[in-house]
Amino acid sequence: MSSTQEEFNPHSPSLELMNEVQQFLYREARLQDTENFRDWLTMLAEDIHYWMPYRYQRYRKNAKEPTIYDQAYYNDTMEDLKKRILRTETGTCWSEDPATRAAHIVTNIEVELSNNPNEYQVYSLITVRRNMNEDEEHTMVGHRTDTLRRVGGELKLAKRKIILDQNIFMNKSLNVYL
Amino acid sequence: MTAHNDFNGYIDTKEGWVDRRIFWDQEIYEQELKQIFAKSWQFVAHDSMLPNVNDFYTTYMGEDGVVVARQKDLSVKVFLNSCPHRGNKFCYADDGNTRSFTCNYHGWSFGIDGKLGALANEHVYDKGDIDKEKWGPRQARVDSYKGLIFATFDPEAPSLEEWLGDFRWYLDMMLDGDGSGTEFIGGGIKSYVNANWKFGVENFVGDAYHALWNHDSGLKAMNNGEGFGPAVTEGSYHASMNGHGWEFGTDGFADVIIMGRPKWTEYVQNVLKPQMKERLGELRSTIYGSLASVSLFPNCSFLPGIQTFRVWLPRGPRKLELRTWTIVNKSMPDDIKQEINIGCMQTFNPAGVLEMDDGENWEGNTSVNKGYLTRQEKLHYGCGINRQIQHEELPGTIYAGQFNDANQRQFYQRWADLMNADSWDDIPTRYTPRYSGKSTV
Repeated sequence: MSSTQEEFNPHSPSLELMNEVQQFLYREARLQDTENFRDWLTMLAEDIHYWMPYRYQRYRKNAKEPTIYDQAYYNDTMEDLKKRILRTETGTCWSEDPATRAAHIVTNIEVELSNNPNEYQVYSLITVRRNMNEDEEHTMVGHRTDTLRRVGGELKLAKRKIILDQNIFMNKSLNVYL
Repeated sequence: MTAHNDFNGYIDTKEGWVDRRIFWDQEIYEQELKQIFAKSWQFVAHDSMLPNVNDFYTTYMGEDGVVVARQKDLSVKVFLNSCPHRGNKFCYADDGNTRSFTCNYHGWSFGIDGKLGALANEHVYDKGDIDKEKWGPRQARVDSYKGLIFATFDPEAPSLEEWLGDFRWYLDMMLDGDGSGTEFIGGGIKSYVNANWKFGVENFVGDAYHALWNHDSGLKAMNNGEGFGPAVTEGSYHASMNGHGWEFGTDGFADVIIMGRPKWTEYVQNVLKPQMKERLGELRSTIYGSLASVSLFPNCSFLPGIQTFRVWLPRGPRKLELRTWTIVNKSMPDDIKQEINIGCMQTFNPAGVLEMDDGENWEGNTSVNKGYLTRQEKLHYGCGINRQIQHEELPGTIYAGQFNDANQRQFYQRWADLMNADSWDDIPTRYTPRYSGKSTV
């Protein structure tokens, strides 16, 4: 409904860059699916902000953007993410034994160049299909806006904002990253 | 099933058991909607969620959708979110600000006070077809206690003050610790759990026991790899007043530490506790922040020190909607509020390292009852059944040791009392109030 025209950077990303970003996001997804969380952390910048704000449905006239001072599913720094991962390594994380089976499906990848030659804005859609316990199957969809930064030649995830589609989160737990 | 079914047959507080069918049967659930949710005072919103005239929030009392709305005179009205014409919801938003609501179906509109106003194409109605004064949505009684807004649709229900009773003495630790009042952090997280609503409430009303085992991994995550110490029963209690329950230790800091935010711990120690001590006395300033959990009958809970605040909305006997917020004191500096916001969310929302493990249990508790034989079996609620004590300072029915099922037993006793009652005269007060008509500060 917005009337402002989106501003496109005249320089399109190269195919090489598109490919590199895509491979980065797929690798992330695989490390999540296989629970290699420590390896996943190495893909993140030290100053990572991993944010999935709360979701309300409002009348269009009352539309309001969430801020980091509002409630959020995730509002994490590197230190916070490490805490979450520590939980899965304690040996007493009963709800993860037997393990959750998750498939992270990354689609609709779009790369935008920014004024900073070392940073790219990357949009993607994340769909997680989670199967757990005897027969529970859940689907969660998030719209991601990432900032990827080139550090020492390698891409790192520096920022991620995830907007969940579900107004009421439809499941008992969010034990996977979107 | 009739209203005269004796629900005392589903619980036994002397032997210490509860019948599993109350977590599964549709007939019992329908009775709960009528006997519990159409009668009880229920938390509907915090004052801070509706700061301005024409602000509204939509929620449920039982399965009855309601609008909570701030009026021109700053009072609050609560009314059914259903158009009296064909019944459709006339508000589909979670919150917002509006002068009126208009039903999508035929265009009947309602003021922020819930009164029926203009009708679309009103000329199709002849004079005398409709008396607009009579055809507004049903209004609830509304009252508040220190920022918490409550409502009931029962005109016969006792006053909110009487409903809360001596529990106000405890609530003041959460709501009036420094005299500045409280507010909620912006937004809210809503989620479904495929569990009976009572499993959430009873967990918070008195289940310190599960924390040690179930939340070991979550606590270690938040506390540098260190888990709970051994279960200490000395200096810890269950306090129950007509189903409302607060279980607590007196160590002063266990729940504060669970948040894993050192700045919050420092603030509690250096600023909040001294203020509470002055305002509420030594004992209450010691209780606040200890390992503790709280439920207000029938379906509102919170954790003092971790600051999560929630309602468990029933969605059929086998599903609940959990709405969570974070509560802070108004006077706290912004950076402390943000520490609480982050720490509370990291522990208690569906992605929180403690909450994540709870839903799993409650869904299991509920779903096993699909087995005919399984649901004929009783559940054990006998822990600490002979530990009732009298305490000079603590109001309510007091049991020694927070690892106890006392508050759960009292919660189910209150449940049965309401389920059985034909009128409020049938509902006993099962403790001796000390603060009737008195302030608790």
